[in-house]
Amino acid sequence: MGSKQDHTDVLIVGAGTSAGIAAKHLAEAGFTVVCLEQGTWVDPGNLPGNKPEYEILGAGNWHPDPNVRGRREDYPLDHSEADLPVWMYNGVGGSSVLYGGIWARALPSDFRVRSLDGVADDWPISYDELLPYYQAVEREMSVAGEAHNPAYPPGFEPPLPAAPIHRTGQIMAEGMNKLGWHWWPGTNSIPTVNRASGEGQCVRYGVCRMGCPEAAKSSTDVTHLRDAVALGAQVVTRARVARVTLDEHGRANGAVYFRDGVEHFQSASLVIMAAGGIGTPRLLLMSTSERFPDGLANSSGLVGKRLMLHPYGAAVGVYSDDLENWLGPAGEHIGSMQFYETDPSRGFVRGAKWSLLPIAGPLEAAEKWTHPLSLAGEEMWGDGSAGRMQDFVRMLQWHVIPEDLPEETNAVSLHPTLTDSDGLPAAKVRYRVAENTRKIVDFNLARALEAHQAAGATKSWVAGRNFMTGHNTGTAKMGNDPATSVVDRFGRTHDVPNLYIIDASVFTTSTGVNPTATICALAKRTATYIASNARSQEVAS
Amino acid sequence: MTVLNLSDELGDASRARLAELADVLIPGGSGLPSASAADVAGQWINRVLAAHAGLAEAVAQVLAIPGAPDEVLRNLDREAFETFAFAVAGAYFMNPTVRNALGYPGIAPRRMPSAEGEAEYYLEDGILNPVIERGPIYRQAPA
Repeated sequence: MGSKQDHTDVLIVGAGTSAGIAAKHLAEAGFTVVCLEQGTWVDPGNLPGNKPEYEILGAGNWHPDPNVRGRREDYPLDHSEADLPVWMYNGVGGSSVLYGGIWARALPSDFRVRSLDGVADDWPISYDELLPYYQAVEREMSVAGEAHNPAYPPGFEPPLPAAPIHRTGQIMAEGMNKLGWHWWPGTNSIPTVNRASGEGQCVRYGVCRMGCPEAAKSSTDVTHLRDAVALGAQVVTRARVARVTLDEHGRANGAVYFRDGVEHFQSASLVIMAAGGIGTPRLLLMSTSERFPDGLANSSGLVGKRLMLHPYGAAVGVYSDDLENWLGPAGEHIGSMQFYETDPSRGFVRGAKWSLLPIAGPLEAAEKWTHPLSLAGEEMWGDGSAGRMQDFVRMLQWHVIPEDLPEETNAVSLHPTLTDSDGLPAAKVRYRVAENTRKIVDFNLARALEAHQAAGATKSWVAGRNFMTGHNTGTAKMGNDPATSVVDRFGRTHDVPNLYIIDASVFTTSTGVNPTATICALAKRTATYIASNARSQEVAS
Repeated sequence: MTVLNLSDELGDASRARLAELADVLIPGGSGLPSASAADVAGQWINRVLAAHAGLAEAVAQVLAIPGAPDEVLRNLDREAFETFAFAVAGAYFMNPTVRNALGYPGIAPRRMPSAEGEAEYYLEDGILNPVIERGPIYRQAPA
């Protein structure tokens, strides 16, 4: 084995969204913290969004699919048996660097789908238990929105004022009002006033999903990890963890990692997994031992299983006027929860969240015709293409994100032959869109087309489906029963008393909303639990 | 960013071929230039390939196929066609004249912070009132 690094109280595997929340919290509480991150820090000035080539770069080196980016730190994903590719960003800030910044708490019903709808499993925690942590991270993530959304229980009051809904949101809101359907100004973790730390407010580039060149959007590299480092935490970049190790008593005592091809060992009293819904099960499955021959913390056999991805669909409409639909945030201008809750008459359970998003540029607009599953009914290119191009700025798009229920056959496993740049096994993803999920998307796309008609669209169509979201959830299920779950209600693995998981792997069910709010709230809750129970916490010898 | 010199790699004949093929995809009209008139085969394809070198091979493969331009494009498999069209369209849309004609601001997204009172402006006519008046829509759940 190569060099051994100084012991730390807490080792966090990853420096992404959940890691940022936990690292700052634990550093503030006085713990020594080390994050091992396979990627690097992002310089906002290098992000593509304010460069003429922005859409070309967003389809290449800044693509959300790691197989397309193909950077050294991007471990390959075999998704030949998946209905859609998998989205993630490997670097400091994790996928929050490239997410849209839509901030949506889960609903009370999301935590009780077994009790209410007879499917999947109830979470071991409730909305009310998570509420104070939602509220805490909404302050930390500078969430902006309109208070008192009737889709939520009373008390949802984002700390910052909402962004303008813009002409886009206004046109659609008028249509939704004609139908008597719910809509609400967008709630986004994108500040509408300057941060105390100096970064400016949103300047509406509309390119949030390529990273924010202004460092305005709340990604945890900006909001948490810089502060964590200032508090003494270490973020070791280009550090690719190969396995988590155990002491003779079966407690996690650190991790072996590679940096520039050299093997190192980081010892720790407590280990937190924060490598995402794909990376965390991959690493647990790689961390085999005599005690855990099928993977660390995998006595239930559920590590890697129950993968949920939120395959979303898009419905677009063309309107008479230039709507300046490229204006940010992106982020949502407005959202709707009209069809979120179960209605048995629809022939499926659960529902979808809708988001009205800007269209960042002409290449994204053209994709509304060119996507393989677009029902535009005409080719984009060739005769008449000029007329279609002139529609680009007159378009509105609804994204409908379905709740995706868990199935054990949708799973992450280790690839038998493919490896990353350090020779470690790549991830194989098997994922098929379930019938219930397909029905949710069908129903909601049909309603979204009705919304476009009510809002005055001259033409509307389904512009595609099975889009990747980066909402990689469920692969280390949270539950009370060690036989049917991987972590307990605080994110501690049932099998290893000082090993925690804080990323989207722990989602018992996927909910039907963008997961970042719940990821951050769960990470805050687990970090708070660790800090509050340090004296009784078993640690490595 | 690697700057490719296509005039060295492909030659002027290939660049002319690219213009022919690109005009099939983007013939122009309605106030928009054709691909060749927008210099897609000149500086703009250079910019595209410099930003995404992975597109170069796909473009070069299409340029190497003999035949009438519309037939060549019609006979491509979907992936080859989409990659070629993406590179051509990316070059076309990077031309500031085109971008301006389509209604996009500047040569790239630019800073446009909201004005004082702008958020309130869109809501001040009571557009949210019907939603509020309908009351809560969330489903109660057991504790």
